[in-house]
Amino acid sequence: MKSTPKDDVIEKKLADQVSWLISLRWIAVLGVTGTVFTVTQFFNIPVEVWPLYGVTAFLAIYNGLFAWVMPFLRNRQLHSAIRVLANLQIFLDLTCLAFLIHFSGGVENPFYFYFIFHIIIAGILLSRRETFVLATYAVMIFLLIVLGEQYGLLPHHRLPGVFAVSLHENFTYVVGVSFVFVSALYIAAYLTTSISDRLHERERSLTRANELLGEKDKIKSEYVLRVTHDLKEDLAAIHTCIEPVQKGLAGRLNEEQTNLLSRAKERSKQLIVYVNALLEITRLKLTKKAEMNSFSVMELIQEISDSIGPMARHEHKLFEVQVDPKVSLMKGVRVYVQEALLNILKNSLKYTPEKGTITLRVQMEWPWLRMKIIDTGIGIPADELPKIATEFYRATNAKALYKKGTGLGLSIAKKIVEMHRGTIDIESKVGAGTCITLAIPLTL
Amino acid sequence: MKKILIIDDDEDVVEAMRFVLDKRGYKVITAGDGNKGLTHARAEKPDAVILDVMMPGLDGFEVARELKGDPQTKGIPILMLTAIKDKTGFDFQKDVNDPDWLPVEDYCNKPLDCEVLVEKIDRLLLK
Repeated sequence: MKSTPKDDVIEKKLADQVSWLISLRWIAVLGVTGTVFTVTQFFNIPVEVWPLYGVTAFLAIYNGLFAWVMPFLRNRQLHSAIRVLANLQIFLDLTCLAFLIHFSGGVENPFYFYFIFHIIIAGILLSRRETFVLATYAVMIFLLIVLGEQYGLLPHHRLPGVFAVSLHENFTYVVGVSFVFVSALYIAAYLTTSISDRLHERERSLTRANELLGEKDKIKSEYVLRVTHDLKEDLAAIHTCIEPVQKGLAGRLNEEQTNLLSRAKERSKQLIVYVNALLEITRLKLTKKAEMNSFSVMELIQEISDSIGPMARHEHKLFEVQVDPKVSLMKGVRVYVQEALLNILKNSLKYTPEKGTITLRVQMEWPWLRMKIIDTGIGIPADELPKIATEFYRATNAKALYKKGTGLGLSIAKKIVEMHRGTIDIESKVGAGTCITLAIPLTL
Repeated sequence: MKKILIIDDDEDVVEAMRFVLDKRGYKVITAGDGNKGLTHARAEKPDAVILDVMMPGLDGFEVARELKGDPQTKGIPILMLTAIKDKTGFDFQKDVNDPDWLPVEDYCNKPLDCEVLVEKIDRLLLK
């Protein structure tokens, strides 16, 4: 059978509901046992308890089996088997209920209305056709009991002391009850399946709408990628052509010429930084599955420290690295993890004044690898914290300090962390500093 | 006079590189795509090749493998122009010496810094 994502959603829901039904059945086992016990002990109605307990035991046994087999079917995604199982469960439930009713008074026992609950459950879980087939089965076994007992084809287990006259022999009563019961059952089947069909339809259209949105977003990202890539080529060419002239290779320049060309070159460089960041985040968005490998965290931190250390020294800032000795390997895309850490560290460096401190702390807290970047920088205003990792967003105090910035560094880091099923946590106080924690699961 | 072959489809970048290398005293020949590049490399026996990655037809990776696989041209050092990480998420630098990955001697990110370009080419030709 061809399966589409939206069918998968519904099949997955069915699996959840079957598990739910199994839990409900344990309650039913307790309920039946409790009812039989109460009726015989406290109401002194001498029903024959052993057949009833027997049926309940059967109920418990098959429920145990279903509970045992269900995780297996779920893990292997055997959706059609789960569907068969759902039908089989309701079929067995109806049969059990029929036996319970038969052994405790037949038509005299008002618990026969519980058949309706099973039909409602079928209507929620199964298709319209399956529900009506099960409803018809319920009608047949009900009629078999009441008419069988009426005509003496089946033994009647009375409820002594409840009714003065045996109701099962009263033809008019039996026919009347059967009519009400059969119509109630089919009405329940009709109503439940109608509602549930409509809900399924809505769920399908929502799933479809969601898929469409995803596709649109992908098209947009691909477009951005293409345009940005072209922009970058042109920018790189502009930069490459200006550079030798500005450096005097095409003849000595006077001060004004050098000044203006330097400005042009600087701006093209800034634009390239921006375009590169845009390319990076768009590529990350389009990456569905990245190949994850194991690599040494210690080596990565060493490399990062080798590139950030000199920058910090140059700017008269202190850069400290603290690595938990327990840290060993992690699984992920090495270049991306490196990129995430470098982005955040460069931000810290940019927004921490001279003589400030930037600390990179790596901790092992099984099953998490926590990488903290702590700085004594300008901080992020509290009301801007929720927006700070949004693409292109820059904090007001950061903008006041440096007019230029892509506003993409942290969003790229966030995307990378999400790709590794990790979390990013940002704490900050204006004027005191910022602490960004990247937590990546070691159990990827 | 040492001869350098530039294989790149971006005429403006080629022009700027030609100018810089020319000033440095190198003889520069150019090719606008991978196939022409291979032909020139075999016919002209340049002392070094500057190779772009993204080109129509044969791309830089294919050209590099072709050059290094040919006994006539395998001794020519290649400087590849790429921000390889952008394309593959793969850190190219670590694998420069890995013959299975990419058989080139050095690489240089675009946009080029003319001093870096000259320095890298000088170094390749010294080897």
